[in-house]
Amino acid sequence: MGITKNLYLNKAGYLVWYAALLWFSYLMLLITLQYVPMRTDVAFLRIKEDVVGMLHYRIAFFAHVYTGMFVLLAGMLQFPTYIRCNFPTFHRWCGRVYAYLIIIVTGPAGLIMGIYGNGGWVSRSAFCILAVLWVIFTYKGVTAAINRNITVHRIWMYRSYALTLSAISLRLWKWIIVLLFQPRPMDVYHIVSWLGWVGNLLIVELYIYYNINKRKASINAMSLTKV
Amino acid sequence: MSASATHISKPTTDVVTNDLLGCWVGMFVPGKKVAEIVTGESYAWDFENKINISIDKIDGGNVTGHSVVAGNYRPFSGIITKEKTIYKFVVKEPGDDKYDGVFQFYIDEADRKLTGTWKANNKIRIPVRRYTLEKKIFIYNAAIRLDHNDRFVDWIKKRKTAPGERGYGDYDISYFTTTGEVYKYNASAQQLTTDQVANLKKADLFVLRNSIYARHGYSFKNQQLRAYFDRQEWYIPISTDIRKDLTAIEKKNIELLMRYENNAKEYYDAFGRG
Repeated sequence: MGITKNLYLNKAGYLVWYAALLWFSYLMLLITLQYVPMRTDVAFLRIKEDVVGMLHYRIAFFAHVYTGMFVLLAGMLQFPTYIRCNFPTFHRWCGRVYAYLIIIVTGPAGLIMGIYGNGGWVSRSAFCILAVLWVIFTYKGVTAAINRNITVHRIWMYRSYALTLSAISLRLWKWIIVLLFQPRPMDVYHIVSWLGWVGNLLIVELYIYYNINKRKASINAMSLTKV
Repeated sequence: MSASATHISKPTTDVVTNDLLGCWVGMFVPGKKVAEIVTGESYAWDFENKINISIDKIDGGNVTGHSVVAGNYRPFSGIITKEKTIYKFVVKEPGDDKYDGVFQFYIDEADRKLTGTWKANNKIRIPVRRYTLEKKIFIYNAAIRLDHNDRFVDWIKKRKTAPGERGYGDYDISYFTTTGEVYKYNASAQQLTTDQVANLKKADLFVLRNSIYARHGYSFKNQQLRAYFDRQEWYIPISTDIRKDLTAIEKKNIELLMRYENNAKEYYDAFGRG
């Protein structure tokens, strides 16, 4: 009885989690659609007038914005066990889209945007480190998958997706902080440029520690006793 | 207004009438007290507006001029009479505007103040106003800085209110109020940079931009801006269109401030980046 109850709770938890992810992805889609058709006089770009004249910035910006949505969705499809077990080919193709977009397009574009970021060196360094780590983590996840090292693959992909989700968490943190404290805009920006991804990374490290490493340790311990 | 008012008891001399010409500035006060608007700040707005009654020409017993108040520029014409040291005026606005009426005022040579009443032609919310004005000379000065008095507050757009202390009404904790930052910059005298405006809140951006217009004597239609700038000692409403007077620096700053204002309006409290 207890076990089935837990299972249902787990299932409910997953459903809430996916519903939230979908909802925020929808909000991200709305943000993306502001830039369709391609325009430089709307939304975020209005306060980027000093750099929007540069061709490489424009290329980086639109590459990042237009591919970001696919990265977010492709990543989301990688987690359900059902898809992974029943449609392994689908999992691999989604994985390829996710990883190659990040490593070749979205990540490097994010780095270029980070270099010209608002808010001086405080947020620029945050965004540049985020972009570099994002590419590294994803690359590590890919090589682990190629080497069939599934546990390591999972760990790096958790980290990678935690950074992918910073697109959402950064904006969510901003909304919460403004709601609560109404600070000056660039002060908020400085805070969330770090909080947006460091927070996610901390959470995912805790998850990895308690759910993967510990379980692995207990499995190891069990197999040791058996021997 | 009596018919005998056309008679002039003493011919007015050029010296004296030249002294009467010019801008007379002060508050245009409702004749009967109107329920005031609680702004949530240390002041309440009671529908007083700063008025500029400009006497432009005196030709014998005829006088022409115009008034500027609350975003309205209205010409007037009428008659002037003199009794002892007192000049009396009865002037009418054209009458083709809903808010036109008749001014009756006098200027005493002794105290050099313009005192009088205004009655509306039509039935409007505040049909009678009174005023005591002083002669002021308007000179555009880019160096004028905002007085450190009350903050600007947008009491219409306010989003959140908290109960005030001991029945002083609701206290506005809206973020659409200015902060100390607004006194740091002068958008008429210096070219603002992106870094300077990027960390300013909506109301600071808004007031910085509007203080450019105020320096040129723009008469505000917007109640909150009027209430704010009317309390600035140096402010004189001169015109309802000052676009041609803007300097190159001011035009650039307006454009910059507008961009950040729009950004703040749309994104500051929304799920998004900026």
